[in-house]
Amino acid sequence: MEDLDFYTVEPDHEDAERREIKKLLGACDLLYEQGIETFVVCRDRDRLVACAGLQQNVIKGVAILPEYRGTALSLTLVSEITYLAHSHGYATLFVYTEPKNAEFFRGCGFYDLVEMPDTVVLMENTPIGIKSYCKQLQKHRVEGEKIGCVVANANPFTYGHRYLVEQAAKACDWLHLFMVREDVSLFSYQDRYYLAEENILGIPNLTLHPGSQYMVSRATFSCYFLKDQGIVGKCHTAVDLLMFRNHIAPALGITHRFVGTEPFCPTTNKYNSDMMVWLQDEVRGSGPAIKVVEIPRTEFNGTAISASEVRRHLYEGDLDSIRNLVPPATFELLKTKYVALVAQQG
Amino acid sequence: MLLKQEALAGTLESSDLFIRITPSDDPLEIVIESEVLHQFGKQIRATVEEVLDHLGVTTGTLIIQDKGALDCTIRARVQAAVMRAAGETTLDWEALK
Repeated sequence: MEDLDFYTVEPDHEDAERREIKKLLGACDLLYEQGIETFVVCRDRDRLVACAGLQQNVIKGVAILPEYRGTALSLTLVSEITYLAHSHGYATLFVYTEPKNAEFFRGCGFYDLVEMPDTVVLMENTPIGIKSYCKQLQKHRVEGEKIGCVVANANPFTYGHRYLVEQAAKACDWLHLFMVREDVSLFSYQDRYYLAEENILGIPNLTLHPGSQYMVSRATFSCYFLKDQGIVGKCHTAVDLLMFRNHIAPALGITHRFVGTEPFCPTTNKYNSDMMVWLQDEVRGSGPAIKVVEIPRTEFNGTAISASEVRRHLYEGDLDSIRNLVPPATFELLKTKYVALVAQQG
Repeated sequence: MLLKQEALAGTLESSDLFIRITPSDDPLEIVIESEVLHQFGKQIRATVEEVLDHLGVTTGTLIIQDKGALDCTIRARVQAAVMRAAGETTLDWEALK
């Protein structure tokens, strides 16, 4: 064991190391995933015997050769990857693993968040992360028979979002609106949140919430943020939806989740139809069912209003077409900030 | 001592402990996970609290994964975590006694 050497590898820049990592993952029945920025690897003399990858705050591609399993190596590997993530500014780490490997991560300080039965477990490396988040949410709990929820990215906020929120609020005793927190959209989180604040004025029974890493985030629903690259593939929408059903909804007493019908985006469309299954059907070990209500998109001149359409017009420099699709606050911000920003991007 | 940033100390290896300390405005919260919690949980907590008290830490969250560390290891790791969280680079050895 004294000859074990741990160091970090950036797979996109180190071809030989990447090839070896691929081989090691293959030997452990795992696929090499694109997008992993850094690996911690372990060599016993010349031989690559273990690796663990990091994509932002999600641990991926953890493999240890069978003869090294159950030794101190595994704990060193996880300690190393935790320090690495910390040096990149990530505090809470998540890991996806098959249920049969969850015990290994439990021994390394990870705690179960949610399980898609027989398929995958999402874990985080703190015993109080989701608990303290839900405790914060509980402060905003409003009692009622019908408590609704909308989760929106609103990139940017359109008349479509306003209509959805209005309709949902009308149908409920109270509505909780969450803004997706990840900052990977054209419109920054700060701007999206600001526009939501401006555009929900006048709706009396509504609480606007900041988003979190526990809903529609890189950790819970990573492929949502790849949709513009056309990568839909096999999405673990179930994990995100079960997080909502088992943790967030009970904290706020949410009984209904509202969504707009999705005519354009295949990822969002899949998310909506998966919602029917993972929120409404019986799922082993899960909380009470949440009713899903689909509200038809509002239209302008016979076409459904969508944020992606607004972005398309923006890129074409066609502000006139946007005017009828978004509320004044959104239009103002588009004009003063994003026209120039998009022009800069070329 | 004022905690300014999240900090880590220690490892998950046997006879060590892993500490994560996070600043907050709420009163001190200490979460301890240990394989020997039933035998030594109280003792571990008392040691941790004593070190924190000595360093004047009254807020924040401390998460500890203990792998059977000795008392002196626990003290050293808690001290290191607090120093890192406070951004303290020059050590006052007197204060660490």
